[in-house]
Amino acid sequence: MIRTVYSLCFFFLAVVATAQEADTSPRLEFNRDVRPILSENCYYCHGNDPKHRMADLRLDVRDEAIAGAAILPGDPASSLVIDRIHSDDTDQLMPPVESNKSLTDAQKETLRRWIAEGAEYQPHWAFAEPKLADAVDLSDTHPIDYFVQSKLHEHGLRPSPPAELHTLIRRLSLDLTGIPPTPAEVDNFVAAAQQDLEPAYDALIERLLSSPHYGEKWARWWLDQARYADSNGYSVDAPRQIWKYRDWVIQALNNDMPFDQFTIEQLAGDLLPHATTDQKIATGFHRNTQINEEGGIDREQFRIDSVFDRVATTGTVWLGLTVGCAQCHDHKFDPIEQREFYQLFAFFNNQDEPTMKVYPADVDPAQLADERNQVRANLSAFAKDHNEELSEWEKALTVEERQALSKGVRQALETSMDKRSPNQLLAMFEVAIDDSATYGEWLARDKQLDVQLNQVPTTLVMQERASPRETHRFINGDFTRPAEEVTESTPSALHPMEFHVSSEQSHDQRPTRLDLAKWIVSPRNPLTARVIMNRVWQQYFGRGIVETENDFGSQGSLPTHPELLDWLALTWVDHEWSLKSMHRAIVKSNTYRQSSINRPEIKEQDPNNYLLARQQRLRLDAELVRDMALSVSGLLSPKIGGPSVFPPLPDGVMGQGQVKRAWNVSAGEDKFRRGMYTFVYRASPPPTLSVFDAPEGFSTCTRRIRSNTPLQSLTLMNDLSFHEFATELTKVIERDGLELAFKRCTSRMPSHDELEILQKLDTLNAARVLINLDETITRE
Amino acid sequence: MQSPTMLRDLTRRHFLSRCSMGVGSIALSTLMADGSLTRRAHADENHSIKNPLAPKPTHFPAKAKNVIFLFMAGGPSQLDMFEYKPQLTALNGKPIPESYTAGKRFAFMDSSHRSDLLGSKRSFAQYGETGTWVSDLLPHTSKIVDQLTFVSTCKTDLFNHAPAKLFMNAGSGLFGRPSMGAWVTYGLGSECEDLPGFVVLQSGPRGPRGGAVLWGSGILPTSYQGVPLRNHGDPIVNLSNPDSISTQQQRQLVDAVGELNLKRLVETGDDEIATRINAYEMAFRMQTSAPELMDTASETQETLDLYGIKDPNESSFARNCLLARRLVERGVRFVQLYDTNWDHHGGTTENLETHLPEKCKDIDQASSALVQDLARHGLLEDTIVIWGGEFGRTPMGEVRESTGRNHHIDAFTMWFAGGGFKPGITHGVTDEFGFGAVENPAHVHDIHATILHQLGLDHHRLTVRSQGLDFRLTGVEGANVIQEILS
Repeated sequence: MIRTVYSLCFFFLAVVATAQEADTSPRLEFNRDVRPILSENCYYCHGNDPKHRMADLRLDVRDEAIAGAAILPGDPASSLVIDRIHSDDTDQLMPPVESNKSLTDAQKETLRRWIAEGAEYQPHWAFAEPKLADAVDLSDTHPIDYFVQSKLHEHGLRPSPPAELHTLIRRLSLDLTGIPPTPAEVDNFVAAAQQDLEPAYDALIERLLSSPHYGEKWARWWLDQARYADSNGYSVDAPRQIWKYRDWVIQALNNDMPFDQFTIEQLAGDLLPHATTDQKIATGFHRNTQINEEGGIDREQFRIDSVFDRVATTGTVWLGLTVGCAQCHDHKFDPIEQREFYQLFAFFNNQDEPTMKVYPADVDPAQLADERNQVRANLSAFAKDHNEELSEWEKALTVEERQALSKGVRQALETSMDKRSPNQLLAMFEVAIDDSATYGEWLARDKQLDVQLNQVPTTLVMQERASPRETHRFINGDFTRPAEEVTESTPSALHPMEFHVSSEQSHDQRPTRLDLAKWIVSPRNPLTARVIMNRVWQQYFGRGIVETENDFGSQGSLPTHPELLDWLALTWVDHEWSLKSMHRAIVKSNTYRQSSINRPEIKEQDPNNYLLARQQRLRLDAELVRDMALSVSGLLSPKIGGPSVFPPLPDGVMGQGQVKRAWNVSAGEDKFRRGMYTFVYRASPPPTLSVFDAPEGFSTCTRRIRSNTPLQSLTLMNDLSFHEFATELTKVIERDGLELAFKRCTSRMPSHDELEILQKLDTLNAARVLINLDETITRE
Repeated sequence: MQSPTMLRDLTRRHFLSRCSMGVGSIALSTLMADGSLTRRAHADENHSIKNPLAPKPTHFPAKAKNVIFLFMAGGPSQLDMFEYKPQLTALNGKPIPESYTAGKRFAFMDSSHRSDLLGSKRSFAQYGETGTWVSDLLPHTSKIVDQLTFVSTCKTDLFNHAPAKLFMNAGSGLFGRPSMGAWVTYGLGSECEDLPGFVVLQSGPRGPRGGAVLWGSGILPTSYQGVPLRNHGDPIVNLSNPDSISTQQQRQLVDAVGELNLKRLVETGDDEIATRINAYEMAFRMQTSAPELMDTASETQETLDLYGIKDPNESSFARNCLLARRLVERGVRFVQLYDTNWDHHGGTTENLETHLPEKCKDIDQASSALVQDLARHGLLEDTIVIWGGEFGRTPMGEVRESTGRNHHIDAFTMWFAGGGFKPGITHGVTDEFGFGAVENPAHVHDIHATILHQLGLDHHRLTVRSQGLDFRLTGVEGANVIQEILS
């Protein structure tokens, strides 16, 4: 299905290109017109990877293509490429029949014309630094609207009118906080906006951006990419504690931590000078890999698998590159050699993977430990001082006196003197000596200290090893076949790494993860700001400006609005990587605020809405489907953070895996927490989440699929939690009436017809219908 | 009940009201062209109602339509069931020549792995016109050997359970790849309108290692993931109405949701709403059809006896085999049965002396009954039956309190029936100890390619793009259809 969308994108762009030619016949552009054809059909055998290269010919480098006589600029008739793509001889025809690839006549003509025009190459767009569009006056209109509307204008399309005000507040609330507005919030906003739209809308944006639920909503976006879940995965899938990392993400986003710092702390927080507890917690990003606890395994194999995952995930999340492709061989399409994969691997090969206790901010564990040592010394000294007294008392006891003693003391008496526990000693002191209270106080303090020191949450972190492991390239990615040794470095096709030997944590003048993290957020990096802005955009419009949000390489799709993407990237860095400032910029645009209602001319010209002549209806993410039902029924707990919780599950779900896991349903408000706090066992994820496409944390997820299935219907109709929410909603209906209950779900009043349909039902069924409406679980 | 006609009328009414307001309508033209919201959507690209499970055309004419995969989770011992190796018995207790094991890796290398050969204690005989060797553990299977296609040189890449199970199911040991059932329903859709296209049944004391990822859809949409039919409680999670809700109330719910959704569809022109209306209708049908499916008590006593089902209401591998036939009968595309505890390392809980015979008894009669029952219902020619585990077991023994064998990936046995597989042959020859293939190794990727081929799918072309790559079930290194085992 993804494939289909993807090809449609190319198809669409091709159509666009053809339409443009007809008008003005501008020169072909390599990146826009030619590269997609070559990359899809030729580079596999005539590209970057020497092992798969055929006939010693590469077409991805102009000089080599010319040297091989494949391309003769200005002379298509003599260029071998043109000859071979038109060949009647199936042995000669390119691409070869067995590749299952073929060129259309239009593509053949494009190649011919491009060679005739001089066969100019361009560096791959994503590897060139973003630049502000030339000669564009952005002072009058919002830049986003400028770029989107210019493209619409080219295609004779008009943007849609603004969404209705109730739709707008619901859309914005769901996009920024994941929680629908209350009917009162809707009314207040509509009233204020009717008075003076812009200030009312600005105030709404600021209110939502400063809501602590903003951090929750956008944390889930990031946690997908971080492959966060609450268990170790693989077959044994034991529970783990790493929710402190999840809470760190929420806090960082609520504080609008600049994204460069956000990146550095997650990739290398432990290596920062005087790293704080929070900065160490942040390194949990790369501890979200699975741990195999199955019997009989080779642990090194699975450690290496997790390092592979860290390299690939870093590449996908921050660079938008399929770095993982180079694990076994040189990348076939992008300039990443296998050796370079292992040079990145080396950065992630030098860590221990400890579990860290997390103390509250006002607790100093060292001080507590000192105090505990003192208390224990006091206890021993006291026992020693009173030893004699105790034995005399013991000796003097008559049989009757002994029998009259409590069971605890009698047991203590039966224990040999050197084996008596402090508790037993206390019991004896209490009956044998006068000043036992001091001992009791110390003992109580000791226990208290023990709790404070040991019964604290833990989290998984990274910790650099004192001496680095050797890293080798693995032949075919097989760790049993090490080849030459490699050291830490970044891919040569990208900007150089600025590495200062002074970095105090570096190993023998070798760069560390910290240098890698700084390299990623360097202003010279052409990828990261674009890649992340593209994924932010995707949240608002259902699709990125680059549709292949995890592949900005030559196999990825081209940006539909390249100038817009560059504007977003540059503006973001200009605003010191503030995510909130970019949210503000996007949601203020008319492009964001327009109606999502489809129109015939859009449906005809741009059925997949690449050009954004309208907003997009988006089914809510899995967690938000739950949050929505909790909100409308009035049950939602607003509590933020803390250990993951266990809302009721259908029977039998936890018995699917190898090890049957307990699921003790949370009590009180923890039963009604937001979906993002539900405990997720990777091997048996909660069905109400996975049925709505929540990722299971096996690998990074940069875009969720939005499926639409009968199992989702069964969940909303029959799941015991959703039924409980519906039952609770009947109270709202009885108290406030059907109209208001409807409005809680959709932010609008029902029409007469709609109300009539609902009124025919009993109250419980009416409530169930409201929870099940497509509109309820959709952000319009 | 809301008939297609009623929905169409509704649609028209909304269309008209919308037009009278002077606002253009969008979705309706396509909806009206179809004439029905609930009728099954066919594989027409322009179709407005996207049913992801609608039947799709094959790449080339298919020999089979359905698959039933009997998965023996843990790794059954081919050397005690199918592979007759007198030399192994003769050299029992002697170390295996180092030439066999040099450079190989095994599970439990640092602890219980042993290098002494272990001869089978079972007695073997030849059966059928083909004279196929089978041990005394499988008295029923031995009667139908002439209908089966044995491959004794199956080969996989991974030797730990969960990754190996994934490899057998998804062609990769990595979590998050689509399983074969997901690929097949993605490629072909399903012929069944009121049950999921890919169904999973489980027996044995616990779930298989790996859990739900074994039938996951990975990078494919969740529409294609396997739906476990459970033996206790609801056969499908959340299948039953909530306690206080009657069927009539449920119907009213589905109707009201449908009507209101349709209004929204008219209002917004978003085709996804049409898909959702369909999903509610199918969900409602499933609520009736799934319990009907599970009602095996309606089968004749003779059928129950054939499978060896003592109590039709009690969960067992045998009952799951019968359910598999009933599922295929209803057009379900891919049925996978997991039977657990085939991991016979030796020791008190999973050894070759006591527990392997018990497992064989659990599955022998029912597996062979399934093949016969499918045949007499005329379903075998369209259905590929697959029997096997994630790997086999070593010729070397593990001698603990009792004996067992370690995981083995170089050669193990699977069998196939129906679906255009050539009956009565054994493909591949292993060496004197059954350690590795001497002739015709059959890698898991080749087996996958062959199964897809029979279903009319070219494994090269059945792809999905993710992270810059075209992913396929058979991986990147190439796979071959094993023509020799096909009719």
